Amino acid sequence: MLELKPMLSALWRNKVAALLIALQLALTLAIVSNATVIVMERIDKMARPTGMDLENIFSVTFKPVDNNYDMAGAMQADLDLIRSLPGVIDASVTHQIPLSGSGSASGYYTEPNQVVGSFTANYYQTDPHFIEALGLNLVEGRNFLDNEMYTIGQNDRHNPAVVIVTKRFAERVFPDESAVGKFLYAGADDHPTQIIGVIERHLGAWPGWSLGGNAVFVPLFVTNKQAHYVVRTESGQRDALLKQVEAQLAERDPERVIKLATLSEQLAESYVGDNLMVKVLTVVIALLTLIVALGIVGLTFFWINQRTKQIGVRRALGATRANISRYFLVENSMIAGSGLLLGAAGATTINEILVRDLSQPVLPLSLLFLCALLLLSVSLVAALSPAMRAANISPAVATRSV
Amino acid sequence: MIGYYISLALRSLRGTPILSALMVAAIAVGVGASMTVLTLNYMMSQNALAHKNDVLYAVQLDSWDPNQTFNRGDGGNDIPLQLTYQDATALLRSDIPARQVAMHRYGFTVTLEDSEARPFTAETRVSTRDFFALFDVPFIYGGTWAEDADLSPEQLVVLSKATNDRLFGGADSVGQIVNLNGEPFTVVGVIDNWNPSPKIYDLNNNPFADSEELFIPFGLHRRFEMVSWGNTNGWSAGDNGYEGYEARLFGESVWIQYWVELNSAEQKSQYDEFLTGYIRQQKEQGRFPRPLKFALTPPSEWLVLNDVLEDDNRVLGWVSLAFLLVCVVNAIALLLAKFLRKAPEAGVRRALGASRHAIFMQHLIESMCIGVLGGLFGIVLALIGLSGIRALTLGIADRIASMDWLMMLAAIVLAILASLLAGIYPAWRISRTNPSVYLKSQ
Repeated sequence: MLELKPMLSALWRNKVAALLIALQLALTLAIVSNATVIVMERIDKMARPTGMDLENIFSVTFKPVDNNYDMAGAMQADLDLIRSLPGVIDASVTHQIPLSGSGSASGYYTEPNQVVGSFTANYYQTDPHFIEALGLNLVEGRNFLDNEMYTIGQNDRHNPAVVIVTKRFAERVFPDESAVGKFLYAGADDHPTQIIGVIERHLGAWPGWSLGGNAVFVPLFVTNKQAHYVVRTESGQRDALLKQVEAQLAERDPERVIKLATLSEQLAESYVGDNLMVKVLTVVIALLTLIVALGIVGLTFFWINQRTKQIGVRRALGATRANISRYFLVENSMIAGSGLLLGAAGATTINEILVRDLSQPVLPLSLLFLCALLLLSVSLVAALSPAMRAANISPAVATRSV
Repeated sequence: MIGYYISLALRSLRGTPILSALMVAAIAVGVGASMTVLTLNYMMSQNALAHKNDVLYAVQLDSWDPNQTFNRGDGGNDIPLQLTYQDATALLRSDIPARQVAMHRYGFTVTLEDSEARPFTAETRVSTRDFFALFDVPFIYGGTWAEDADLSPEQLVVLSKATNDRLFGGADSVGQIVNLNGEPFTVVGVIDNWNPSPKIYDLNNNPFADSEELFIPFGLHRRFEMVSWGNTNGWSAGDNGYEGYEARLFGESVWIQYWVELNSAEQKSQYDEFLTGYIRQQKEQGRFPRPLKFALTPPSEWLVLNDVLEDDNRVLGWVSLAFLLVCVVNAIALLLAKFLRKAPEAGVRRALGASRHAIFMQHLIESMCIGVLGGLFGIVLALIGLSGIRALTLGIADRIASMDWLMMLAAIVLAILASLLAGIYPAWRISRTNPSVYLKSQ
């Protein structure tokens, strides 16, 4: 019924053209499926929640002109001023700006004087206002008290008595039990630091970091040559307050350089590479599919032109229009099917290399199948219009030119 | 004859406008996509120190944690990428290298006396005096500081051209005073525009960042209690017997970049011996707990070691080449269709005496014409692609996402190669045409 035998013999006479279509589809499937899995991974990565009230926070960085500047005094005056502005929910000092790509990490141990087996986390030197100022969610324990806050010089040593950690860090270090009340130690040190609270989620300073989400907050202000604040505003007032804060801080003390940035800007900047991958690969996927479709259209048209007479003869011998277009569609699916089979093997091999050498995600079979199905339908749609035209070839053609 | 073939080719292309447009589009899109990505990868792999590749070396010493290796990135060699301050100052005492540089990034607030200009923060390179000669940095005015300045707290500064334009309107500012963090520094030199990309001399943080705006001597650490404005990696937080800022200078954290210029194999082996001796001597004092290991890496390998071209860039590079391959296969199919349709014409030409070779050449030249057209459109597409990348990277890749004449030439060559590759089989196929078949059926 499907006229397989004559179809195969016709294909054999046109084997190069058929091979070229199959090869294109094979290569396309190999590229498109691997590109899709990379795009999906990156989109997921960029969509991860930051744990913060992202849209309503901006950061302030200031650096004084004078080498011997009263940083602690300026910090207190600045924060008092910022917190007094209507529309500001809270502001806090921090030694690193979340999502900025610049920050600190340290190893933490669970036993005193331990030197191997540390748990690495991104750490913040901040103050009791950080939960409110970042819009974080304290799920267990308590916040810092004002009297737990210390101010030290750049070269001073300080072992914090208390810290707050993220849930991800807590679960990594103390699986299956509450981390609140537990102690952490710096390496080769016996000073205990107690965990007093757990934050639901916080992505930290480097969103692309493999340990992103592991964060430790320390109540400490180190008087350095520069300082950062984070400011959270009522919804929708961020941009207006950013300008206001910039102006008021400069007015309070003009002898310094002040730089402000919104956290959403910082996030966009740290995802530049991922965003680039997503956009470039999406364009590649779209263009490839289009090119292959156009190629199939062109070649099928040519093919049908070549076989106009045979089609006419078949029509004259009683084949219906439906028979003719079905013939070309089935032929097309056979070519596409074998090409996609080859492509699936290629896609898997390429994916193995991508995973092993270029740290890309594993291609799941279901996604490969989905991509193959999609390309098969693209190929059928591409063959549809030439096949319809073939069906319209009049039987008279067969008699005319022979 | 070639002129005749080209005119035949153009006539033939006009004869089948849709098919020809499809083929040109296939080559153009393939070349456009691959040149966009390849340009990016090519610019990211530039070695600004290629001309000194056989004499410059980045110095690494394994002073790391006895309990674990220093491990960062795929390309690393398990040795810290930077030195501790105490090792850097110790190495500086060697007179083996022709030139040597110990340095790191820092930042100052800049003001001018009697000026209404707002203070601004300037990225600063804290370095020994050989920086400019070792990396071939051109001066407009003045020059580097004297050797003493790297050992004593002399407040001298070299300005970048942009900083000098900003502060002094581009005038010769040598001898003028600039205030850094409120302290007076005397200008000793102004350098010309100099912006190696990647920033090979310091690949920490962003390898495509601009060069620094100020350069100051290495002798000022204690005076300003400077810390690195780049990566600092540490493993030992313990007490090292020092207090305050000295504890930082004598700590085990690495934050100093170190380069040497060794002009002969003899100098290099002498320096190897010197480093071996230094590490042995430090081991006797209880430092360098790991097996004795150091590395002297030339600039080209330093770029690889620092993963400047990331995995993602390689993936995009391969994807774009595979894309081009699909476009070539596509063009083969379309050319085959086009040529076979013209088989009667070829049959007539064969019957009139044209050799198979002549038919083959004629059709190859026709596909080459498609390649040239595709290449030209491909360059346009690549320029559009690169401007898209500049927009997507928020200014970070502005300098690397741009095409030089070499890459434009490469685009044309790539397009012609692709079209020739696509044309060989169809042209061969048509050259095998048996003239009698077509003569009969006409």
